[in-house]
Amino acid sequence: MRVLLIEDETRLAENVAAALREGPGFAVDTAEDGEIGLYLTQDACYDLIILDLMLPKLDGLSLLKKMRAAGDRTPVLILTAQGETRSIIELLNSGADDYLSKPFDLGELIARVKALIRRGKGAAHPTLNVSNIEVNTLEQTVRRSGQIIDLSPMEYRILEYLMHRPRVVVSKRELLEHLYDYNWEHHSNVIEAHVSNLRKKLDASSAQPSIETLRGRGYRLITA
Amino acid sequence: MKTWSISRRLITTVLLVELISAVCVTGMAWFYERHTHFRSFDVMLRGRADSVLGSVQDADDPADNVILDKKDLAVPDEDIYEVWDEKGTLLGRSLNWAGTAQGSFAVNKDGYRNLNVSGKPYRFLLLHGLRVVDPGDKNGGVPHHLTIIYGSPTKHVWHAVIDAVQFYAMAGLVLLVATGIIMAWLLTRSLAPLRSLAAQAAGVSVNAWSFSPPEEARATKELAPLVSALETTLQRLERSFSQQRRFISDAAHELKTGVAVVKSSLQLLRMKERSAEEYQAGLERCEADCSRMEEIVAKMLTLARVENHETANAQPDRSTNVSEVLHQVMEQFSSMADLRGIQIVRSSRGPFYVALKAEDCGLLLSNLLLNALQHSSRGSQVMILARETDSQVEIRFEDQGDGISPEALPHIFERFYRGDPSRNRNTGGTGLGLSICKAIVDAAGGEITIDSTIGLGTTVVVRLPIAVVNPSAAPSAQVNAENLFCE
Repeated sequence: MRVLLIEDETRLAENVAAALREGPGFAVDTAEDGEIGLYLTQDACYDLIILDLMLPKLDGLSLLKKMRAAGDRTPVLILTAQGETRSIIELLNSGADDYLSKPFDLGELIARVKALIRRGKGAAHPTLNVSNIEVNTLEQTVRRSGQIIDLSPMEYRILEYLMHRPRVVVSKRELLEHLYDYNWEHHSNVIEAHVSNLRKKLDASSAQPSIETLRGRGYRLITA
Repeated sequence: MKTWSISRRLITTVLLVELISAVCVTGMAWFYERHTHFRSFDVMLRGRADSVLGSVQDADDPADNVILDKKDLAVPDEDIYEVWDEKGTLLGRSLNWAGTAQGSFAVNKDGYRNLNVSGKPYRFLLLHGLRVVDPGDKNGGVPHHLTIIYGSPTKHVWHAVIDAVQFYAMAGLVLLVATGIIMAWLLTRSLAPLRSLAAQAAGVSVNAWSFSPPEEARATKELAPLVSALETTLQRLERSFSQQRRFISDAAHELKTGVAVVKSSLQLLRMKERSAEEYQAGLERCEADCSRMEEIVAKMLTLARVENHETANAQPDRSTNVSEVLHQVMEQFSSMADLRGIQIVRSSRGPFYVALKAEDCGLLLSNLLLNALQHSSRGSQVMILARETDSQVEIRFEDQGDGISPEALPHIFERFYRGDPSRNRNTGGTGLGLSICKAIVDAAGGEITIDSTIGLGTTVVVRLPIAVVNPSAAPSAQVNAENLFCE
C-alpha cells in the first residue's frame, strides 16, 4: 500500500513515515506544504492520504476540498492540533474520512490507516479471503488451505494488494505505483521477479494456480 | 456609594424652583390685590362720605343750623357714619353706631383708620367738609364746617383679596402637577435611547462582540460621545482579545505538535527490537525534539513578557547604547559567521541611545542578525548600519541572502509564521523571532520594516526613538548572552 503524508513539521513527518514503513510496510511519500501535496494527489495512485491541517501555502482543508472537487476518492485521514468540534464537523463534511488529534498514538494511527485502506478497498474485516487463500493483515500472515506460507515483505505486499482486487487485472505499473514511493520507476525490473517468487511459494502445496499473468496487461488473482 | 437618579433629581429641582416661584407669585399677588382693592375701597368710602355730606340740609331755623336728612341717603345698612358741625353738635349718626367723642377719633395722615366694631373689622374715613346752606332770606349762603366719620366693613375686600390669592395659588399648584407629569414623561422618553444602548452593551460578550448602537442614541447629542467611546473601546477590546485567543490557539497548536513529535519519536523506538546504536540515535533525536519544544516555550514566554510591556507602556526612562549592544551581539555571532563564511560589515558612529531596556535591545539585535546570517549564503555579506536621524535611531540589517517571497512578506511578523518550509528544515526556526522583534520595537514606540527581493536579499530597518534621559545616569548595557541566543 502507498500512503501520502502531507505534514510540514518535518520531525513528525519523519517519525510517522518511519512507523508506516516499519509497521505495516507501506510505501510512504511525504510533502511539506499544501501545494506539493495537492500536486502529488493528482497522480491518484495513493491508497490513503494523511493530511495535516495547518500547512504552508495551501491549508489542509482547502487541499481536501480541491481534491474532492477533482473527483479524488482516496481515503483521507486528517491530523489536527485543533480539537474544536465545529472544525471536526466541517472536516468530515468536506470529505475527510477520519481524524486524529495531535499528539496521537502511533499505534492508533497505524490501526486507523489500515482500517481506512481496508474500507477504501471495500473490505470490512482485517482478514482477507479469496478462494482458499487467507491473508491476515494484522499479523501479516498468509495461509493457503490452512497451511502457513512464508513470504518476503514485498511478496506479502503484492499479495495483499491483489487480494483487495480479486478477479481484476492489475497492471505492473499499478502494482509499482501502490507498493513503492515516488522512486517506483527504479523498481520496475524487480516486480516480475517478486511476482514469480510469490506464485512459486503459493502454488508449492497446491495443484491449482493462484496468480495468472496476462501478457502485456498485468496480473490477476484466480478465483476458482 | 449611594445611588441617585438624574431624572428624580432633575424633576425635584424643577418642581422646587416652580414651587418657590409659585409662592412668590402668590405672595406678590397678595400684596398687590390688597393694595388695589383697598385703594378702590377708599375711593368708595370717600364717595359715600360725600353723599352723607350731601344729605346735610338746612334746618330752617333762625340760627341757620343744619341737620342730617337721612331720608334720601342710600348707603348700605352695615355702614357706619356720624356727622358733626363746627360747634361740636352731633348732626346725626347711623343706627348701628354708638358714637365717639368729638375730636377724639384719631386717624392716619390720609384720614383713614381701621377699627373693630362689635367684632367686625371696619375702615373709617374722617372727612372735613364744607356745606353751604342758603336759607334765601339773607345775602349769600351760610357756610357750615362739618366733620364726617364714615366706616364700612372690610370683610368684602378681604374676601376679594383672598379669592384672587387663592386663584393664583391654585394655578401654581396645577402648573406644578402638570410640570411634574410632563417632565417625568419627557425624561422617560428622552432616556429611552440610553436604556436601549445599555441593553445593547449588556449583550456584548467575548463570544458575541457585535455592538450596533441604536440610531436614536447616536442621534442624541449627549449620548453620541458615549456611543463612540463604547464603540472604540469594544473594538480595542475585541482586537486584543482575539489576538490573545489566537496566540493561545497558536501556542496550543505548537505545543501539541511538539508533544506529538516527542511522543511519536519514542513510540517509533519501541515499535520493534532495535540495536543499541539505533536506541542511542533515537534518544538523541528525542532530546533534540525536547530542546526544540523548550525553545518554543521560552520564546513564547519572552513574547508574552515583551507584549505585556507593550500594554503596560514601556518605561521611557530606559536608555541603552545601541552601538555597545551591537558590538556585543556581533562578537557573540562572529564564530557562527566565520563558520558559515559570512562577513559581517558594520558601519556606525556612535554612541546612539535608544529608549529600550538593554536586555530587549540585545534580544532585538541578536534576532535580526541571526535571521540575516541564517538566510545568507557562503561568501556573502551582512551589512549593519546604525545612524541617527531627527529624533530616531535607525538600524539597518542588509543581507545578500535568498530573500522572502512577496506572498510571505506581509505575514512575516505574524506569530508562528514560517516563510518557507524548506528553509524551516534547515534553520529550525520557531516562527516567533520576528514577532518578538516587532513587539519590542512597538513597545518602544518605534517601527520595523522589511523589504526583500527574491534572490537579492533582505533589508530590515528598525527605527527607535532616541532616549531622552541623560545617558550617564542610565545603567550600562548589560547583555545576557544566554538570553540572546534564541534560534
